[in-house]
Amino acid sequence: MRLYDLIQNNKKLTFIDPFTDRSYGVADFHHSLVIDDRQALVFIYADNLIGSIEVFLNFLGSRFTVSLLSPQLSPVYKQELEEVYQPYYIYDPSRTEIPGFDIHEASSRIRLFQHQLKPDYPIHPDIKLLLSTSGTTGSPKFVKLSEENLIHNAEAILEFLPIREDDITPLNVPVIFVYGLSIFTTNALKAGTIICTNRDVLQKEFWDDFVKYQFSSLGGVPYVYEMLQRIDFFKKEYPFLRYMTQTGGILNQTLAKVIEEYVAPRGQQFFVMYGQTEAAGRMAYLSPADLKTKNTSIGRPIRNGSFQIDPSTRELLYSGPNVFGGYATKSADLNTFQPGDVLYTGDIAEKDEEGYYYIIGRIKRIVKLLGTRFNLDEIELIIKNAFNGETFACIGVEDKHLLVIHLNQDLKDEEIKQFLKTKLNLHPSIIKIKQVSKIPLTPNGKVDYTSARSLYQQV
Amino acid sequence: MDKSQKLDEVMALALSVPLEEINDDLAYQSIPEWDSMSHMVLMTELETAFGISIETDDMLEMNTMPKVREILQKYGVMQTN
Repeated sequence: MRLYDLIQNNKKLTFIDPFTDRSYGVADFHHSLVIDDRQALVFIYADNLIGSIEVFLNFLGSRFTVSLLSPQLSPVYKQELEEVYQPYYIYDPSRTEIPGFDIHEASSRIRLFQHQLKPDYPIHPDIKLLLSTSGTTGSPKFVKLSEENLIHNAEAILEFLPIREDDITPLNVPVIFVYGLSIFTTNALKAGTIICTNRDVLQKEFWDDFVKYQFSSLGGVPYVYEMLQRIDFFKKEYPFLRYMTQTGGILNQTLAKVIEEYVAPRGQQFFVMYGQTEAAGRMAYLSPADLKTKNTSIGRPIRNGSFQIDPSTRELLYSGPNVFGGYATKSADLNTFQPGDVLYTGDIAEKDEEGYYYIIGRIKRIVKLLGTRFNLDEIELIIKNAFNGETFACIGVEDKHLLVIHLNQDLKDEEIKQFLKTKLNLHPSIIKIKQVSKIPLTPNGKVDYTSARSLYQQV
Repeated sequence: MDKSQKLDEVMALALSVPLEEINDDLAYQSIPEWDSMSHMVLMTELETAFGISIETDDMLEMNTMPKVREILQKYGVMQTN
């Protein structure tokens, strides 16, 4: 059975558009669009609103391979990706025309763009979904996922998340991120109502919806919980809220304690989860019962998953049926799908005597800024290319800041910040810049990122 | 410094947009620059610049330029026009 069929089996599932308060049964989105029956690629610039959910469901129910992409990508990045992958259809409500594409009115509500040349290059039948590893840098590197990956992930999550038939769940995490996608798939399989929204926790309308529809759950990366604390969320009562989920990094200890002390007496549950796009979602979770004693742990593996720690590098390795089938960086890569047995997470981990895992560092040069993963080498290259190939070194500082080190005395901090803001939508306040006379190097001539990081203290 | 001019400067700094782009049409999430991150920066900057402590309900209400000004009036830091 396909994920789509399992979702359609949840016959009482309802989607609500909070902007109009209109609701749609899951059957209303069954083949509700006129699309060609073929194996090809569709780009969905998904904003979590009702339209993108309808489009996503229709293509899940087709032979198409779906790529979920950020609607906030700059137009240049969108065109570059479309050039590389030649999608047959595009859903992007933000554009009125795309060169090389015709408008296809797929229904009275939904407009698609259809490639004039009807590309039909071969795509491996096991590839159902392509997700970007970065989300916002416009990198053409996609993670190839199968139906089986998606179903295994969703079913493993349903083993521990208390999702019920009468649940009302907001899509307040973008579905283009694997965590948001997991919220969508698990609730589509088992919950009663999904609120299709892109409103965020700093919008009054989000809280109006929260009370009006009585959200059963909330999800977020650490940054979202920091905002919740800032707006005094944990000082108020929400009798309808049953559980919260968190992923995308470790909560600071103080906040973890605030949350633990909030949920415990109220009988609510807080789930810490650990995952990656390459695992089609989750790899581990911390049971709410362990929150008090193990609040810095990612918990234990999900059902059918297992961890090993590489004895020499201490890298956390994951095995399970949700491990992806390889990366794609060009359309020719869509012709293969190699189910992986071991996923190298790039995280350095420890396991305590009771079998709980802890992330203590990273092997890969990855930083998570506001919950979004950025490859530091990639950022470095983007900056170098923009600034005449000059020397830059990028370092992540505790998933809070991006430290940029450079040699050019004439280069103003503002220029770099402005560039990163425009290109990668990084807020200047999370960027720290240090001009130095010499970039620290290791004996073999590579940038010594460990020494470079200490420059952060001087910014 | 004129309070209104000071407000514009705080907005420009927090949202990281040029001062010329600060106008009454700006609203939360209406431009990419005014997102959740910069909104929290904005709240902190307003508190520092005007020496006030903004209540949480007001943080969510301050979602347009006119609303920001209106609520700052409530805190007694902006003159009524």
